[in-house]
Amino acid sequence: MSKKILIITTNHSSYPGADAVGQARMGYSANTYIIRVPDPVMFPEDFYLRAFDRGIGGIIIMSSGSDCPYEGAYERLSKRVARVYEQMRAKGIAANRLKLTTICTVCRAAFLKEISEMEKAVAAV
Amino acid sequence: MDEKTRDEAAKDNFRQEPKVGVYVCHCGGNISDIIDVKAVAAALARYPGVAVAREYAFMCSSNGQDLIAEDIKNLGVNRTVVAACSPSLHELTFRNVLQRAGVNPYLHEHINIREQASWVHKFDKAGATAKAIKLAQAGVEKVLRKDALNAIRVAAEQRVAVIGGGAAGMRAALSAAGKGLEAVIIEKGPALGGKLLELGRLYPSGEEGAAVAGKLEALVRADSRITVHTAVDIDFVSGFVGNFKINFKKADGRSEQVKAGAIVMATGYEHYKPAKGEFGYGEDANVVTLPEFIALMKNSPAGRLALAGKEIKSLALIHCVGSRQVEGVHKPQADGKINDYCSRVCCTAALHTVNQLKDKYPGVRVYDIYRDIRTYGMQHEEYYDKASKDGVLFMRHNEADQPVVASDRTGHTVKVKDVLTWGEELEVKADLVVLVTGMMPADISLIKSQLKLPSSADRFLQEVHLKLRPVELANSGIFVAGTAQYPMDVTEAMAAAGTAAAKAAILLAEPDIPLEPFVAVVDEHKCTGCGLCPPECSYDGALMMGEHNGKKVAVVNPALCKGCGACVAVCPVRAINVAGWTLDQFDAMVDAIAKE
Repeated sequence: MSKKILIITTNHSSYPGADAVGQARMGYSANTYIIRVPDPVMFPEDFYLRAFDRGIGGIIIMSSGSDCPYEGAYERLSKRVARVYEQMRAKGIAANRLKLTTICTVCRAAFLKEISEMEKAVAAV
Repeated sequence: MDEKTRDEAAKDNFRQEPKVGVYVCHCGGNISDIIDVKAVAAALARYPGVAVAREYAFMCSSNGQDLIAEDIKNLGVNRTVVAACSPSLHELTFRNVLQRAGVNPYLHEHINIREQASWVHKFDKAGATAKAIKLAQAGVEKVLRKDALNAIRVAAEQRVAVIGGGAAGMRAALSAAGKGLEAVIIEKGPALGGKLLELGRLYPSGEEGAAVAGKLEALVRADSRITVHTAVDIDFVSGFVGNFKINFKKADGRSEQVKAGAIVMATGYEHYKPAKGEFGYGEDANVVTLPEFIALMKNSPAGRLALAGKEIKSLALIHCVGSRQVEGVHKPQADGKINDYCSRVCCTAALHTVNQLKDKYPGVRVYDIYRDIRTYGMQHEEYYDKASKDGVLFMRHNEADQPVVASDRTGHTVKVKDVLTWGEELEVKADLVVLVTGMMPADISLIKSQLKLPSSADRFLQEVHLKLRPVELANSGIFVAGTAQYPMDVTEAMAAAGTAAAKAAILLAEPDIPLEPFVAVVDEHKCTGCGLCPPECSYDGALMMGEHNGKKVAVVNPALCKGCGACVAVCPVRAINVAGWTLDQFDAMVDAIAKE
């Protein structure tokens, strides 16, 4: 398993949030790979399990949370992530390698905190 | 008007053998000072599917754009990856380069190696370079799996429905009409003007609210392109961008329908109504809200301020009533939520009112009890300065130590733990207590539920992005103006209304509306007709089961689909995807990133 961290961000919220971290010239480690989507609700359970299987160390889902512009998407996402945790448990994958969180367009400190925590989780595996 | 949708003729260059051009930007030194851009380009040049990889000082410059256009022309490049700044800045720039060069603009992938690499990994140049290579490779994998997309075009009614006839609603209708559109104002109250009619003198001009409302109404009534419906009850709103239908009942019981290509939500706000007993409100007649006090001042003669015949010689204002509420300190509203947001305008409104009070009744003693004074806005701080000079006594409490109002026959005693005197317990006697109440969103639950409009945590309507798309809702064709969005003053509400009308006018500039093609698409060959996806969709009519060539399949209405992808996750055979954002693309990106 690599130490690579996959960060799933949203077009409306957490991707601009990640940009805000850069604009403030704050730093974090380079083993982080940000992809953007309209909303992470589109990913089925097996997307995450497949990514772990391919060698991704940790995944942070940075959703838009209560700022999500899509009706009902966050509720569906959180239920799906709960099912992913069940499947991870069954496969013996540490639960702290996946994190669902909410990052807004200006949540710079929270963005860095999530990465820092995932760094520890990935290092511990 | 027909509710038809049609696709533009698709360009067919996506059927050609994919030839990816990769372009790595130096961004002056913003990227190249940290990332070895030559190494990135060299690594990408060797990557499968890549026909050419270049690095250049400024890819967004005319010369940089020409490089891409020339490669399209001379090398047959038919897909591009640009590794540069954030896509929010230049994704559209490069899509346009492709379009001008005859390639479908959606066969482009924008990789961010500035905000999300060089600017955040300045102490790890090797790591930043390795990351840039991986991200660009993932971009290549994604663009290789992209299909040519065409903007969806929807025939549109050339009319704007403005829901709400207050300051923002009238301004929006006037602006829309000024741009040549028909506008229809739909107002539930008996008259135009909304809350503006209740306000006293407005800052900064000093004009009476009712006078401003009167001027706006005169302009509205004089414009033949604007139709006004007042005293109506909206009972059903439906449709999608270009084709909304607003059904309402008039006061005489008749039903009417307005068809519109766009909607401006100018539904306004309600004043926070303090709970019975909150600072004595509802239990003592001499505890009033700021709007009630403004009405009292308007109706009081010069020389003597009185309530129910009793002269008011002193008053205490308490700020932040019904706003900036604290969990555990304040009682929640009926929906279980507290109003933890700042209502923004109340500090300025309170000080502006106090200044008028001191001008009209200089002998009245005023105590201003606040948590923070937030007189944001051009020259609003002057209201605070004037109040201070006129002898208003300010006391400041913290959030946990709320002021306490005790009443007896002699009047009110307000007790404050004052932070300005390092926690001194102060008591002031006041004939009148004025609660500076905040704004709450108007109850538009019916429209919200029927159109699936997004709300913020504060229950106001939620724009897509406060800075980048400040008056657009996620629902295409629906815009927000004024205090339906968040607490704002009349000036701001008017500005927002003008912006919303301009956005509506841009949308309806042509009879056919072009829409981003990022909506769900169904591969009918793969679809098994299992029916799992429609229940996942939150938007009525966007995704339904239907029949095609005698086969039961999922059918998407692209004008109603928002492209969230909730349906995608439940398809067991990956027959449904969001165009431009498919699961296969993301799997391939993950593979590229994970590969050592």
